[in-house]
Amino acid sequence: MLAPRFLRPESSDEAVELLRSFEGAAKVVAGSTAMTIMLRQGLIEPDALIYVGGLPGLREIHEEDSRLRVGALCTHREVELSAEVRAVLPILAYTFGTVANVRVRNAATVGGVVAEADYASDPPAVLLGLGADVITTSPSGERRRPLLSFYRSFYETELDFDELIVAIDVPIPPSGTYAVYEKYVSRASEDRPCVGVFASAQFYGGLFHNVRIAIGAASETPQHVPAIDRAGDESDLRASVIGEIAEAYAEQTDTLDDMRGSSWYRKEMIRVWVRRALERVREDAYASPSPSRSSSIPDEMPRRDQ
Amino acid sequence: MESGGREASTWREGRSGMIDSYERVTGRVPFATNVEVQGMLHAVLLRSQIAHGRITRIDVSRAKEVPGVHTILTGADIVVRGAFKARFGPVFRDQPILAIDKVRFVGEPVVAVAAEDRDIAVTALALIDVEYEELPAVFTPEEAMANGAPILHEERPELGATFADILINRSGDPNTCNTFKVRRGDIESGFAQSDHIFEDVFTSPSVQHVPLETHCCIASVERSRIVITTGTQIPYMVRGQIAEIFGLPASAVQVIAPPLGGAYGSKCYPSIEPIAAALSYFSGRPVRLQNARDEEFVTITKHGVKIYMKTGVRSDGRILARKVLALFNTGAYADIGPRLIKNGGYGTNGPVSIPHVWIDSHAVYTNVTPAGAFRGYGISQAAWAYDSQIDMIAHRLEMDPYELRMKNLLVDGEPFCTGELMHDVHFRELLTTARDRIGWDWSAAPERVGQKVRAKGMSCIIKSTVTPSTSTASVKLNDDGSLHILTSSIELGQGVHTLLVNLASDQLQIPVGRISVARVDTDVTPYDQQTSSSRSSWSMGHALTAAISDVKEQLLSRAAELSDEEASQLEIRNGHVSVIGAPEQGLSYQEVVRRTRAGNIVGRGFSQTQGGLDPESGQGVASVHWHQAAGAAEVEVDLETGHVKVVKYHAGVYAGRVVNQVHGELQTEGNLAMGLGQALWEELLYDNGQLQNGSLADYMIASFDDMPDEVDLNILESGRPDAELHGIGETSLPAVMPAIANAVFRATGVRITDLPLTAEKVLRGLKALEAEGGAKNGDLTTPDGASTDGQKHVVGSVT
Ligand SMILES: Cc1cc2nc3c(=O)[nH]c(=O)nc-3n(C[C@H](O)[C@H](O)[C@H](O)COP(=O)(O)OP(=O)(O)OC[C@H]3O[C@@H](n4cnc5c(N)ncnc54)[C@H](O)[C@@H]3O)c2cc1C
Repeated sequence: MLAPRFLRPESSDEAVELLRSFEGAAKVVAGSTAMTIMLRQGLIEPDALIYVGGLPGLREIHEEDSRLRVGALCTHREVELSAEVRAVLPILAYTFGTVANVRVRNAATVGGVVAEADYASDPPAVLLGLGADVITTSPSGERRRPLLSFYRSFYETELDFDELIVAIDVPIPPSGTYAVYEKYVSRASEDRPCVGVFASAQFYGGLFHNVRIAIGAASETPQHVPAIDRAGDESDLRASVIGEIAEAYAEQTDTLDDMRGSSWYRKEMIRVWVRRALERVREDAYASPSPSRSSSIPDEMPRRDQ
Repeated sequence: MESGGREASTWREGRSGMIDSYERVTGRVPFATNVEVQGMLHAVLLRSQIAHGRITRIDVSRAKEVPGVHTILTGADIVVRGAFKARFGPVFRDQPILAIDKVRFVGEPVVAVAAEDRDIAVTALALIDVEYEELPAVFTPEEAMANGAPILHEERPELGATFADILINRSGDPNTCNTFKVRRGDIESGFAQSDHIFEDVFTSPSVQHVPLETHCCIASVERSRIVITTGTQIPYMVRGQIAEIFGLPASAVQVIAPPLGGAYGSKCYPSIEPIAAALSYFSGRPVRLQNARDEEFVTITKHGVKIYMKTGVRSDGRILARKVLALFNTGAYADIGPRLIKNGGYGTNGPVSIPHVWIDSHAVYTNVTPAGAFRGYGISQAAWAYDSQIDMIAHRLEMDPYELRMKNLLVDGEPFCTGELMHDVHFRELLTTARDRIGWDWSAAPERVGQKVRAKGMSCIIKSTVTPSTSTASVKLNDDGSLHILTSSIELGQGVHTLLVNLASDQLQIPVGRISVARVDTDVTPYDQQTSSSRSSWSMGHALTAAISDVKEQLLSRAAELSDEEASQLEIRNGHVSVIGAPEQGLSYQEVVRRTRAGNIVGRGFSQTQGGLDPESGQGVASVHWHQAAGAAEVEVDLETGHVKVVKYHAGVYAGRVVNQVHGELQTEGNLAMGLGQALWEELLYDNGQLQNGSLADYMIASFDDMPDEVDLNILESGRPDAELHGIGETSLPAVMPAIANAVFRATGVRITDLPLTAEKVLRGLKALEAEGGAKNGDLTTPDGASTDGQKHVVGSVT
């Protein structure tokens, strides 16, 4: 095992040129929380590591035209604590705050968790549910792709070997939208999710609109099926409607088996947690029918802050 | 140990926390993992990837070419070229330093590489080719004991001379390495007198200790001298084994044992030390070897155990008879399994008085990682069975499980199943306090809020401490009146050195700042049998007290030389030697040592207990006194997910006398954290002998967030000033798992008899109950084999 070369480009352009020059034998490294484990376990043996952690311009968070752009190098902790994110997309701050523990969140980056494509991560499902785009750069220029078509399978994305994620770009839901994320951990509290469920809906005129569900950690890639969600549109999200949606996700998700639960158990959990998530959306909406911000702040931020 | 009476105890001022707390919080504790020796090589191991097979070829030629590689060693090299013994083990010398001819579990060390640095060694390792001819393998005791099962050790392993009191009972079965038996009363007539007979099966999986610091050692072997620095709980055991391997007198082997970053039983017996020593022997250089985390999982584990338990009960709830078959999966090499099954065997009697007892406890070889000592030492597995069962029996007889336990708990003067009479027994007190503090009310229905339901459960357990046992200690009173303690008790984070310093401070009435504990080093510090079995405060405490008494006597007679008084007219008071009745004219220790030109005063102390059991009947003395604990848990179960959260836990443990309240509480909380993990998630999962979850991403231990919101402790004292210390390092752990399972049963009607209580298992149980039409009595079996209450039970009279 030869130690890979460790290269520190000074700009994104230089980084992607380096990536191209290694023709796939180099890997980007940012927070290295996942990379260190992959290297140690011998899962990958790159010739070079391209360290992007210090690159300028990739660590900003800003709101423009009803979209929130989060730089790829923002850490989980920064997203969790960002006043800007908490103001316009509190569900995103909440979700990043549920990841691992504060030591990991202080290092792990947004680009890292999106690119790693680990099925048992929290943020990808929520970003998918929110309709986020992934913005990348490469020697061929900048690209934008919807997250919906970004994940291929286990640890596999659409990224080319010379592509670098520079930001994620998330539409800010219209006002009157209520969003929740339910991270269900079946084992010790610092574990990754067994199933994660995102649910959101807009509430006006006594009915729910634009219902969106996304399921993480239950199958190879996060699931979001607009055709199922439609059953909730223009409805009052009564029990039977919620039940129908939950059942459809349970049935249609190709659940996997691992130490956090069997495929059978995951289907059960999808049924339970989609229902619970939508119930919370409904309760939140009924409790404060006109929220001042565009999505509801979860009851409490995760406990593991300190 | 409180002593020194009501004197103005100025020597106690400034005492706080661990004596080395500053070093601990500033990263200055010299753990083995931090030790560097000039010129040392770094070693890594190539481990078997198959569970059972013959080694047909090992090719190290490419690895040898890697620059910086110094020595590459195989089992065959040791046999052919090493002028030393190739096998070791605390009971049977059955474990090869490196695999010889055969491998017997996935993870067994096959080739060792020592190089100038670790990266070089790892690079070379990847270039080694090993070919095997696979053999059929067995993974459970039942498979291993079946007719025609593959035999792990074709030749009977050599029995070592380490333990004077070892009981070896080898049946005809070639894979059973030892059997322990208890025969008390007349089991058949016991069942005949019983109104109800209950037969149940309980399993505990094998789990790992997960010490923060993995095994690490540095060995330096020279022609006639060996020095080993290693993270061990028993330096004298390492010394004995290394001396035996290399055919050297014990005096030629020096074992230096720094403080440990956690052990929990995993560092009792040699594992990697012989490998590092063999590499050093061949390379002529010091060699450092440290387990990576994944290697820790294939070094030593807690025994997975299956217990068949048949209990006969009179209609009033009195237990009359118990018959047990306990199958301990000891893995591919015996380690301490042949001894542990004794404790795990008589342990299945539990803290209850039973006139007729028949126990067979087997240690069985299988093709998985060797199992050895683990906090609780066989008792957790036994308690999981008997305390679950007594709860199940209460349910079947429609009795309050608290009352049923109270009716049967041992009291002073009653015999245990080994025949010895119980003394200093406090089970009832512990259990009653547990009941009160958790707010137990049998008639109350579980509390339901939405999809969550809350209920309570309790448990009560008994544990022995190693008997017979021996500790020795020395102290040196220096010419400035300061003191050195020489002990081979290991500081593993439990605070034993702090305890010994406080003890010496109280007995000599000098401040703790004037007392040092010498580094544990078998060249210097005197013999101690082991730092395990929750024995050190008691056993080493006695030895130290004896050593200090010896110093005091010498001080008095030295002081007599300086005065007109006889030694018998003198006393030690306020850190001085003075004439009885005239404390103001005392001589300081410094004056006594200096003026008599004693140089220093050396005291020696010895403490020993007697005991032992008959190999055929298990009768005799198993424990000098008994460790006792009760637990009570309140759980909240999510009925839709099966997820269990322990919201409150009460741990009660009998300490005799509390010597350090904070350390006592920390040990008990640590037991709770460990028990919680074992109750809910911990389990080494094997697929055809391949460990599936040998990393901390896959293997779950409890984190702080998992601790109950409310933890309530009862560290019980006897109230007598001369009460014996009772170790509490392990005692409260075995109570945790059954207390939680009993609470889950009350909450849901789901009885799980195979640990851990995963959310999925609980949910399957709930679904099965639903399918069978309600949680009326909870007696059913879940679909996928997760066993539930009543799986094998026969209620009714036997005639
Ligand atoms: C103990 C622990 C617990 C965890 N628990 C959780 C959990 O509960 N929930 C959860 O969601 N996740 C969890 N994780 C995963 C964690 O969130 C990821 O490891 C982390 O987000 C990866 O980010 P990073 O910056 O460290 O990425 P790195 O380790 O640096 O890289 C990860 C991968 O992404 C690629 N990459 C990184 N940045 C970019 C970029 N800008 N463009 C293109 N490719 C890039 C790398 O090449 C690599 O393949 C846990 C991790 C650990 C270690």
